[in-house]
Amino acid sequence: MTGYVLGRLAQAAVVMLVMSALVFLGVYAIGNPIDVLISPDATQDIRAAAIAAYGLDKPLWEQYFTFLGRILSGDLGRSFVYGMPVSELLLGRLPATLELTLTAIVGATIVGVPLGIYAGWRPHTTFSKLLMGFSILGFSVPTFWIGLVLIFVFAVELGWLPAGGRGATLHLFGADWSFLTVDGLKHMFLPALNLSLFKFAMMIRLARSGTRETMGTDTVKFARAAGLSEWTVLSRHVLRLISIPIVTVFGLELGATLAFAVVTETIFSWPGLGKLVIESITALDRPVMVAYLVIVSFVFIGINLAVDLSYAALDPRLRKGGGR
Amino acid sequence: MNPPVLSVRGLTTRFHNRAGAVTVVDGVSFDLARGEVIGLVGESGSGKSMTGFSLIGLIDAPGRIEAGSSVKLEGRELIGLPDRDLRHLRGRRISMVFQDPMMTLNPVLTIGEQMRLVLAAHGRIDRASARARSAEVLGRVGIPDPTARLDAYPHQFSGGMRQRVAIAIAILNRPAVIVADEPTTALDVSIQAQILAEMRRLVAEDGTAMIWISHDLATVSSIADRLCVMYAGRIVEHGPATEVLGAPRHPYTRGLLDSLPSQSEPGADLRQIPGATPSLAALPPGCPFEPRCGRADPVCTTRPEDVEAPPRGWRCHHPLGETAA
Repeated sequence: MTGYVLGRLAQAAVVMLVMSALVFLGVYAIGNPIDVLISPDATQDIRAAAIAAYGLDKPLWEQYFTFLGRILSGDLGRSFVYGMPVSELLLGRLPATLELTLTAIVGATIVGVPLGIYAGWRPHTTFSKLLMGFSILGFSVPTFWIGLVLIFVFAVELGWLPAGGRGATLHLFGADWSFLTVDGLKHMFLPALNLSLFKFAMMIRLARSGTRETMGTDTVKFARAAGLSEWTVLSRHVLRLISIPIVTVFGLELGATLAFAVVTETIFSWPGLGKLVIESITALDRPVMVAYLVIVSFVFIGINLAVDLSYAALDPRLRKGGGR
Repeated sequence: MNPPVLSVRGLTTRFHNRAGAVTVVDGVSFDLARGEVIGLVGESGSGKSMTGFSLIGLIDAPGRIEAGSSVKLEGRELIGLPDRDLRHLRGRRISMVFQDPMMTLNPVLTIGEQMRLVLAAHGRIDRASARARSAEVLGRVGIPDPTARLDAYPHQFSGGMRQRVAIAIAILNRPAVIVADEPTTALDVSIQAQILAEMRRLVAEDGTAMIWISHDLATVSSIADRLCVMYAGRIVEHGPATEVLGAPRHPYTRGLLDSLPSQSEPGADLRQIPGATPSLAALPPGCPFEPRCGRADPVCTTRPEDVEAPPRGWRCHHPLGETAA
């Protein structure tokens, strides 16, 4: 098992390396940052000095290794716009996105999976049919539209919940968190709901199809024949059997949402990563874009690694060295 | 004679769909005495597995056990019993072993956990007692080093060992009746014989009655005291195994016996029953075997009555061994 984990870690490191090269080349291809940094009417001397100062006169491979060395030492550069270290900027925004995303996905899973299992267990009840109709809606209605409707109904018309911002936050572990205060939770509710609807619909469908498939198997028949209650059959046998695709989608969605909660964060003016990146792109804030891409690939690789390792925990057949 | 541990009368199971109802089990009746083994034989689609599932009340919609059916287990009527009560009998007084041990055990739970769930389904039991009881039963079915094997997963066992585990789960709560649905069919021939011997020993030791469902006359004949031959959802012949096999009365039983490879000369073609099992949705009005039967005549287009000649019985207008013809 330890060997397997080490192997996976090595693979993750290689992927990270490839990603850094791609990001570097991609941003290099966008254009010369000097054009953005200094005014167009600067003298040739100033221009040359700036190029030398940023190391842009060196060969490409040398620039890449300088870039890599800086990343490894935790230096992601300074934002052009905010004039502060990018790492500080991103770390300041990450908690906002993290708490919003985790709330949305964990919530969608905790509520969606049991409902999906029910719909797969009793597919012909009215409730199951309503659930499936709702899940199609959750899939097909665009996020931004739902976000606007949520704001219109709950913030504007009913006035129950705030329309944007993080509200009051509490400082813990060096970051500010909204979920620790009542006001923060109120602010988080609508954006989290907005983000979770699609994932909620997906979890329902995933759990339902897995359950329907599993209910017909001999494993379930045998468990029933041994007198197990339907609750035990569903909670002990079926849930474990359908968990691998659910964990896979959970991981993928977690990564994707962390990186691309842009729409929701913009609509609800939630000061998270997505909103920062949109601002950086409009302002051509290159260090922020690069650091964001590096962090996003890091998060994705980390989540994928965690998902792969959890497979082994969920399915004993996938454990290495578990022969007969 | 002791009252039978299981008494089945007129058991009828139908599947209802838009096109109408299909009768998969049609008026099956038999008694099972304590410690007795009944072989339920027939081709695929003859309704033998459906009979097994009907007995333990596990027929999924759109299937339904029809009114008028009666299954009495230890004197208690099972048909019409609420699901809750039925569940408490399943796995405790009547249990079932399935055909393919690769499919029945849950691949992601340890053997010990699967056995504990079955014990816990029928009364509070702490983990230590559950482990002790499970290990004891695993030992009885011939699993070496049973305590250590409780923490193993199904894929760490061979096919034969897996079926032993499934049998251990079935006998865990000391049932009065075991329904064994082709438990050796998916196994290697050499393993089949072992499992067969094991089950015969277990039921004899415990006085458990067993219904052994199989299409394989050779295995059935080595374990069953009595045989019920099924065709198109009906029992067409029943009686003591040696008599039914030695002097079949129903032409269908004769046909089954003749198709055994051991009944043919080496190198000669195997004798087959002509035709195929009829579709249950479109049975002939009379004897369902009539289109495939060499002895059929116009009388056979009417439904044959049950002929009871204890200890035997059959449903045929022209039973074998009655006339010299």
